[in-house]
Amino acid sequence: MDKPPSGRSLGLAAILFLALTVPGIAQDANRKSFRWGTDPTGGAPFIYADPDGKFIGFEVDFAEYLSKRLNRKSEFVKGDWDKLPQLLDQPTTDDEGIDAVLNGYEFSADLAKQYAPSRPYYVYRIQLLAHKDDDTIEDWVDLVARNGKPGKSVGVLGGTAAHAYLNARFEKRIDLKINPDVATVIGLVKDKRLDATVQDSPAARYFLREIPQLKSVGEAVKPGFYVLYVRKNDPKLLAAIDEAIRDGVRDGTLKAIYDKYGLWNEDQERLAYWASKPWPPIEADAVISDAKDDKNVERKSPLPRLAWELAQAALMTIKLSVLSFPLAMGIGLLVAVGRVFGPRWLGTPLGIYVEVVRGTPLLLQLYSMFYLLPPALAWLDMHGVWLPITSLSPLQAGVLGLALNYSAYEAENYRAGLLAIPRGQMEAALSLGMTPLTAIRRVIVPQAARLVIPPVTNDFIALFKDTSVCSAILITELTRKYNELYNFNRDYIVELVFITGGLYLLMSYPLALAARSLETRLSVQKTGGKP
Amino acid sequence: MIEIANLVKFHGSNRILAGVSLVVNKGEVTALVGPSGGGKSTLLRCINGLETFDTGTIRIGDMALHGTLGKPHPKAALLKLRQTVGMVFQQFNLFPHMSVLENVMTGPRYVLGRTIAEAEIIAKTLLHRVGLADKLHAKPGNLSGGQQQRVAIARSLAVNPAAILFDEPTSALDPQMANEVLAVMQDLAKDGQTMIVVTHDMDFAERATIVHRMVAGTIAKSGSPHDVLGEDL
Repeated sequence: MDKPPSGRSLGLAAILFLALTVPGIAQDANRKSFRWGTDPTGGAPFIYADPDGKFIGFEVDFAEYLSKRLNRKSEFVKGDWDKLPQLLDQPTTDDEGIDAVLNGYEFSADLAKQYAPSRPYYVYRIQLLAHKDDDTIEDWVDLVARNGKPGKSVGVLGGTAAHAYLNARFEKRIDLKINPDVATVIGLVKDKRLDATVQDSPAARYFLREIPQLKSVGEAVKPGFYVLYVRKNDPKLLAAIDEAIRDGVRDGTLKAIYDKYGLWNEDQERLAYWASKPWPPIEADAVISDAKDDKNVERKSPLPRLAWELAQAALMTIKLSVLSFPLAMGIGLLVAVGRVFGPRWLGTPLGIYVEVVRGTPLLLQLYSMFYLLPPALAWLDMHGVWLPITSLSPLQAGVLGLALNYSAYEAENYRAGLLAIPRGQMEAALSLGMTPLTAIRRVIVPQAARLVIPPVTNDFIALFKDTSVCSAILITELTRKYNELYNFNRDYIVELVFITGGLYLLMSYPLALAARSLETRLSVQKTGGKP
Repeated sequence: MIEIANLVKFHGSNRILAGVSLVVNKGEVTALVGPSGGGKSTLLRCINGLETFDTGTIRIGDMALHGTLGKPHPKAALLKLRQTVGMVFQQFNLFPHMSVLENVMTGPRYVLGRTIAEAEIIAKTLLHRVGLADKLHAKPGNLSGGQQQRVAIARSLAVNPAAILFDEPTSALDPQMANEVLAVMQDLAKDGQTMIVVTHDMDFAERATIVHRMVAGTIAKSGSPHDVLGEDL
């Protein structure tokens, strides 16, 4: 049956008509995004949020320019900085994946084997920054341990050229602190909790301007090129990007962008030179002159060295675990005894302690230990409160944070164990004339301890692996080391995964065996016969 | 030596003890008999401070516990009281993680503050007395019920209490084992040990100095075993 067209279908038809006849509108709606991978965490001046929460930065402007040239709309995709290239391994759709990595990634021959580098869009150098008040650091060499003084603590973004440079130049002679977040490292130098930091020149310039307590130290060294990385099988995109960069260099568009952020300097003249030369250079290593020596050493299989470095980092993992777990057990035991046998008024605060500690993430607790507690301690100290310690090293903060977190779990384990001991045991002890504390210590706790060996072992092994969270507060333990090494050894990722996993297993399995044998020995005595 | 006056205890609105008064003289064996739920065990646990009571007084030598209306007794008073009065439980309550010897040593070591060597001598003597000299290093779990109860008696004797309270010491045992335990208790009685025994064992009650029959939280009848137990025999 024929019906007259309804109002709705008329409207649809009108939209269709408009879409077909006004190409501009349709094109804009369908225009594909240029999806670029970046890590905005503390990323000034590359990409950062302005006070209104809008993302700005010289790479945002640069990406806008590129997108306009590609006739696409610019859309950035957030990721962890050191994992950005991996995003290229996944396909790109309208709302997933990236077309290119664009976030201060330097040209490296290593990465160029897997992904296609674009022409350079910025020439950076590596700059050493320290606190203005610190007159012991006047040049790079002042970082080194000398005259019985330990090496300076130097914060650096893991996996960057700055990181590689410090590794190659100073090896173990400085106290290298790896952190994934530039703004945090800068803040620590400002608070004098780190001696120095090494940053790429754009970040260094930006923070020198923003934070008056900082000074630049010595020469900026080791010029390198920022490039984009795209997929190897996407030569059309690469060519279009290269074209856009070349034009941008020649017509002053890039200079305008860099001027806006105060980043233009004479180093950038080299962009014009490389805009007309073949890229990438045939002898890639020759571009970055002082990197050549390190590279030659690397020609041997680096695996033994990598394994050795991982094993050393594993020592830190062990240190964190064996220092923090006994502390967690001690606090947990006190909390559990307080809850089970203590006065009623104590029960509520202890219960709240357990729920709060158990119910908030370990990472957050470590952050509070490391970033919030020291200022609080300093404030108390300033106001004349006597404190046993006035500052916290990363290791102390890590141990304390892990102990705190696990104490809540241990408290619950022990509480279960204590509640499982028959009431008659306590009564028998009391009727002999023991004080409640003696009864708990001599009669109840030894029996409960046997019961809780399996869950406590479980937690110890879990803690072993949770030590990796400490990498967030500048502690280089096994997982951090793995992340660090893998940035410079992308050819050995599989080997690194296996060595790292193997080391964890090597540490936790003997522990499990020891616990099991302890359990067997004690339980034989206990259940040798029933009355 | 033990004087109980007008002991009243409520459990919620349930009156467990309804004004119990009795006197225990030094060297006497007092038997508490009567139906279950009569308040015998509760009375015993009150004497040792394991339970509080609402009103009334318990005097032991120069110490006194007063009714607290359900609040805990003062700690210092409890400690002193318990060192004076020992207790043996129906379920033995030995410490399973310690050997027999260590169980008996706990009192001397952790209550009297004796050295390990001293405690060991005390414990060995007592274990010898209860006939378990050959089980010093066994774990309680490897002993029969009767043996365990004898260890428990030795353990309570080790702090040298003025009186010992027995809470149905043979109820969890079969007759053969009960007899082992009763023999030890008779032996203690003969030596003049003051004892208060809650028991269903009429053979033992018959040999007590004095018997109290408790019914519904009061002492229904007191007197010589013959007078009180007559109707049961």
